Amino acid sequence: MLWLCILLPPLAPDALETLALWAMQWSSQVSRRVDADGAATLWLEIGASRQLFGDHDALRVHVATGLAQLGYAHQLGIAPTPQGAALLARAGIASAALTRAQLLQRLEPLPLALLALPGEQLAALHSAGLRRIGELLALPAASIARRFGPDASRYLQRLSGAAHEPLRYVRPPARFDNRCEFDEAITDTTALLFPLRRLLAGLEGFLRARDRAVQRYTLRLEHRHGATTRLVIGLARPSRDALQLQSLARERLAATTLTTPVHGLGVEAHELAQPLLQQGELFACAAQHSEQLQQVLDRLAARLGAGAVQALDSVAEHRPERAWHMHAAQLAAPATLPITLPDDAARALRAAAMAPERPCWLLPEPQPIDMPRLLLAGPERIESGWWDGADVARDYYLARGAHGARLWVFRDLRSGAWYVHGLWA
Amino acid sequence: MTSRMVCGLGTEEAVHFSSLPDTRFGKMDSLLRAQPTARPDRDELRRLLDAEEIPRFSKASIGERRKTGDLLRIQPALPTGFTEFDAVLPGGGWPVGAITELMPEARGIGELSLLLPALVQLSHAGRYLAWIAPPCLPYPPALEWHGLALDRLLLVRAPDARAVLWATEQALRCPAIGAVLAWPATLDDRHVRRLQLAAEAGGSCGLLYRPPEAVRQHSPAALRLRLKAHDAGLHIEIHKARGGRAHALVVHPAAAACA
Repeated sequence: MLWLCILLPPLAPDALETLALWAMQWSSQVSRRVDADGAATLWLEIGASRQLFGDHDALRVHVATGLAQLGYAHQLGIAPTPQGAALLARAGIASAALTRAQLLQRLEPLPLALLALPGEQLAALHSAGLRRIGELLALPAASIARRFGPDASRYLQRLSGAAHEPLRYVRPPARFDNRCEFDEAITDTTALLFPLRRLLAGLEGFLRARDRAVQRYTLRLEHRHGATTRLVIGLARPSRDALQLQSLARERLAATTLTTPVHGLGVEAHELAQPLLQQGELFACAAQHSEQLQQVLDRLAARLGAGAVQALDSVAEHRPERAWHMHAAQLAAPATLPITLPDDAARALRAAAMAPERPCWLLPEPQPIDMPRLLLAGPERIESGWWDGADVARDYYLARGAHGARLWVFRDLRSGAWYVHGLWA
Repeated sequence: MTSRMVCGLGTEEAVHFSSLPDTRFGKMDSLLRAQPTARPDRDELRRLLDAEEIPRFSKASIGERRKTGDLLRIQPALPTGFTEFDAVLPGGGWPVGAITELMPEARGIGELSLLLPALVQLSHAGRYLAWIAPPCLPYPPALEWHGLALDRLLLVRAPDARAVLWATEQALRCPAIGAVLAWPATLDDRHVRRLQLAAEAGGSCGLLYRPPEAVRQHSPAALRLRLKAHDAGLHIEIHKARGGRAHALVVHPAAAACA
């Protein structure tokens, strides 16, 4: 076993819990401890995950970079025993001890003060004439137990690896629901982004540990007075990338006005989805495109609202205002290879459909006009809809408007009134 | 939270987009390009420079361009579908990775049909088309008549001018989107410059519809066109073309109503 120890300054319990979940992306065995003075320690067993993330040095860099991005001061140590890793971290020794022999070699010259022992025991060791850890470890265990007590002896055995360290591992919960609290009320949503980043880092670790992704998660803005504001952030495809989750939340927060100050922030992810597996080489490009498009669709929806991006279909229907359909945009299947229709084939299709040509712009409602002076083409009679009550009887013409605009106009056959219905843009 | 912690944000977006891999053009797209996208070889460049039909630079302007290195950047372009129009456009089509401004004198003169051949090609190559805040409903039966793959069309509604610009920028930055059509209510040269950068980053065709008065404004757009109705089609005046020159011509969009 190989342990990575992270020494952290005093943290709120919520924050430590989130950080422990964050660490679970690298190791399924994560243990946390809070000392009497509040300082927090996380241990990650990294022997098993070394192949996945490169060697221990690469992993240490990953962890250190991550902690720095989350704004946590930290010290790291790597050793075959949890206590050994913690001691190296306290001593500021960055290079990893990979074996017990290497660990003992590194510990030897270090001062006794680095040992995690109570002050009076350290004083006793000092008055016994001991100065360096090596001198103490050279003594027989029985002698240490007799002279300095069983606790000191047990600690030293665990430090050197002669005895096993009992640790309780963090177990990832069934669902993610973490929060943080603010000392001062927050009135500007941009000030929520940094704490949110920490929470979402925890969410990413949690999702990776459980090999899941989210398609939807909830931001909880907690107010001292009044009901909690809940913002549901939806993704069109499951993701567990904290950066992506955050960029969506940012758009959403930017579009949110705070009416009451925020005292706490929570992130909930209750519905976990299967992560999307990597597409095969053949579809890599299409998959990448669809991934990029997905991100844009999500961002647009987060900022402008769920219905902001629409797709269009045509409907086989004579009444022009009913010959189309609008629906929320969805990605075409990523694995679909592009279809190319040669011009001739497309033209043949059109001819087969015998569809009359239509103007590119349709007005939302037909606009009443005076009878046009110049009709260029027409009429095309459209009589339809008597069965559903919305029947029409119209003669459509092409008319010329101001500046040479080509208008699609019709005369209502029952009232005789003229309307513009579209523009040949 | 202390303010120190809040600092250091804000660059994330840039990182997010700049970290996108550079392989954003699929194989299909390369077929749609009239010019090579990156580093044309010397012979190609010489051929282009020597070609009879492209002596568009005065000697002075070539000197100037050499200094800025602009000459060596061949503008990738998307054929417009109108041979006579491609012939007078630098690069031979709609500038890709750049902004084009279209300033029609009125609505309904063929200002959309002018784009349709290029949009149809893009849509069949699997690229998406984003239309941001169009003034009317793009009528699906008409678009289908022209051959557009409707499942590639994304219609974006934005509540105000700022949102229109924001959405346009987002769409331009996305390599999956081949062309972005936008109808911004207001626009100044700083906005256009910003959109220009977004188009460069995403490699898409940015097509902005602007009112005819906008022609008096300065703009960093790569191509600026004034459009007028013409008896037999659409009158195009090239007001500005980066790497080209002013020109005017009439094209005939494929629509029975325009014939």
